[in-house]
Amino acid sequence: MRYCQECKVSVNGDWLNCPLCHQPLEKVSEIPTPNPYPDIPLRFNKQQVLRILTSISIATISISLIIELFFLNSTRGLNIISFGIVSMWLVVLIIIRKRRNIAKSIVYLIISLSLLSIYWDYVEGWSAWSTTHAVPMICIFALIAMYIAVRLVKVEVEDYILYLLCAALIGLIPAVFLFFDWVTNPLPAWLSIGLSTVMLIVNFIFYRAEVLRELKKRMMV
Amino acid sequence: MKRKNWVRLDNASNIFLASMTDFDTKVFRLSATMEEAIDPILLQLALDKNFEAYPLYHSVLRRGVFWYYLEESDLKPQVLLDEQPPCSQLYHFDRKELLFRVVYYQNRIHLEVFHALSDGTGAMWFFEDLLSEYVLLQNDFISAETNKESSQSERAIEGAHTDSFIHHFRHKGQRTYAEAAQSSIRKLTGASKTAGKFALEYGKKAMRYEMTNQENKKKRKKVYQIKGKRTIDNRTHVVELNMSVQPVLKLAHEQNASLTIYLTALFIEAIQKTNPVVEDGMTIAVSVPVNLRKFYDSTSARNFFSTTHLEYTYEPSEETNLAVICKTLKEQLQQQLSPNSLETRLNKLIAYEFNPITRVIFRPVKDGILKVINYFNNRGLTFAMSNLGSVQLPQSIDDKVHQFYFQTSAVRPQFCVISHQDYLSICLNSPFVETTLYKQFVRDLTALGVPITISANRIDGLELRGEEE
Ligand SMILES: [Zn+2]
Repeated sequence: MRYCQECKVSVNGDWLNCPLCHQPLEKVSEIPTPNPYPDIPLRFNKQQVLRILTSISIATISISLIIELFFLNSTRGLNIISFGIVSMWLVVLIIIRKRRNIAKSIVYLIISLSLLSIYWDYVEGWSAWSTTHAVPMICIFALIAMYIAVRLVKVEVEDYILYLLCAALIGLIPAVFLFFDWVTNPLPAWLSIGLSTVMLIVNFIFYRAEVLRELKKRMMV
Repeated sequence: MKRKNWVRLDNASNIFLASMTDFDTKVFRLSATMEEAIDPILLQLALDKNFEAYPLYHSVLRRGVFWYYLEESDLKPQVLLDEQPPCSQLYHFDRKELLFRVVYYQNRIHLEVFHALSDGTGAMWFFEDLLSEYVLLQNDFISAETNKESSQSERAIEGAHTDSFIHHFRHKGQRTYAEAAQSSIRKLTGASKTAGKFALEYGKKAMRYEMTNQENKKKRKKVYQIKGKRTIDNRTHVVELNMSVQPVLKLAHEQNASLTIYLTALFIEAIQKTNPVVEDGMTIAVSVPVNLRKFYDSTSARNFFSTTHLEYTYEPSEETNLAVICKTLKEQLQQQLSPNSLETRLNKLIAYEFNPITRVIFRPVKDGILKVINYFNNRGLTFAMSNLGSVQLPQSIDDKVHQFYFQTSAVRPQFCVISHQDYLSICLNSPFVETTLYKQFVRDLTALGVPITISANRIDGLELRGEEE
């Protein structure tokens, strides 16, 4: 047991200085009294590092954009690069933020990547590559990926069923592209619609009860 | 497939989710010291058994579109060695995990609980029964070792068993998940729709009353905020004070005050002494939670407390001493604990719980609103204190458990008080590195002749490497 003459307190543990006033402690008995608070090593703060890295890259992108716009007067090449960087970070951030729920992160990915490709297509002067190829392909592969992922990682039905449903519904959106004739080749859109419909029917047959119960739970007012 | 029970998270608990941050995890810790070093195997057995009797603790927290909800899970709690800073995060978004943990170190057992699950009083029930179970198992273990020769010890154990049995059933109405997880307000009001409507009307009136009341005392007050340097990895800085109850109680009675009021007043004085700016007309405001089960007949294990707001303003012209502060705080507390005032608060809670408008707001929006409310609440507070009072254990285990400790994660400096037999423990928690305020508070107490033993956790790299200056 040690004692602080300044604070007039006994101190448990192997402190050499008073935890309160940082003055050296006096030893009053040879029998050491253990500290009930174990020494716990400092934790490396992953989240903080990620946050810093993210802000640095966003700052870098915006600075280079400004330089390019005001000093070089060309944006064409930079557009592609910055879209590339933005989509990469988007993917990373979604996966990190939603890593505990694979199905949810895939739905987030479908939506953000599709919107990004449409916007990119638009900025580049609309050649309809996004609606013809990108969006339907993203939907098809995302559905397949989700189906494989939930089986590989053993996710419970109730945890992914609504997201699978969401992904399947999004996969029907290329029908709109077909209707307004926003495509140069109808095949990818039809593939996406076909696969989504199959998924929806399978869900309806096998998991109707789960879907309804999950909906009730999550939408409860 | 087994269908999982689920229940919407009550309004009282939502604020904890909205205000949770990396350093303010909204986790609190109850600890107890036993005679000997903890046997993790016995503790695990005790936990398994106790866990069965408390369906609420089977919950995991999940997010819906409009609400968070508690869902019954198949997860089993695992006893762990104390290897994380006190009150470390328990709930992570999108991860299914139990909202409590049981850890041990040396001769201490700790129960850590996420505040959205239960409050201190509710968690104490679980903890007491866990300790009873542990002591019983230990006795069984010892008697098995001695080959059950002594009939006397056997009788003692038998007696202990019935005692524990009664203890378990003290909290009736918590046998099924749906009932245990139900909001305390709903339980109290019977959860009928008419009760809701009725309560809503009352709530509206109460709020109107509260508004005018607030307008009346609209004197612009400058509430003092304690500032400091955050610990490196956001861990809570703990200094635990151990002392005897009697001398402190005597000091409190000399000031004609309760323990809660007296310690709060001492802390206010310590703040004023360490921060001289407070002297020119600054207000020191403190929130003190009150257990509503004492006032309304409720056995709910969910959050069921209300907070009282006490404050003291240092006027440069007036003379201040401990007695004056005690008197002021006492009057404020009495006023806020009057039946009228309590009813107003309760009706407000009921009104929130049954409010049809808050129900249809999307959950992220709701979280945002609560975050803003919480921000302004924090701005109006200097520190917080919480007193769980004196723990009464069933006789069979009373001697086996020595001392209790109580602490919480902290967004600002605060302290938690709990006592058992003649042991009083005060845990000073803060997110900051500095100890000036702690030092002042402790020195004020020792100067009054109270012998104190302290324990503290190490919070920075230097201390951890043992390279103190
Ligand atoms: Zn000292």
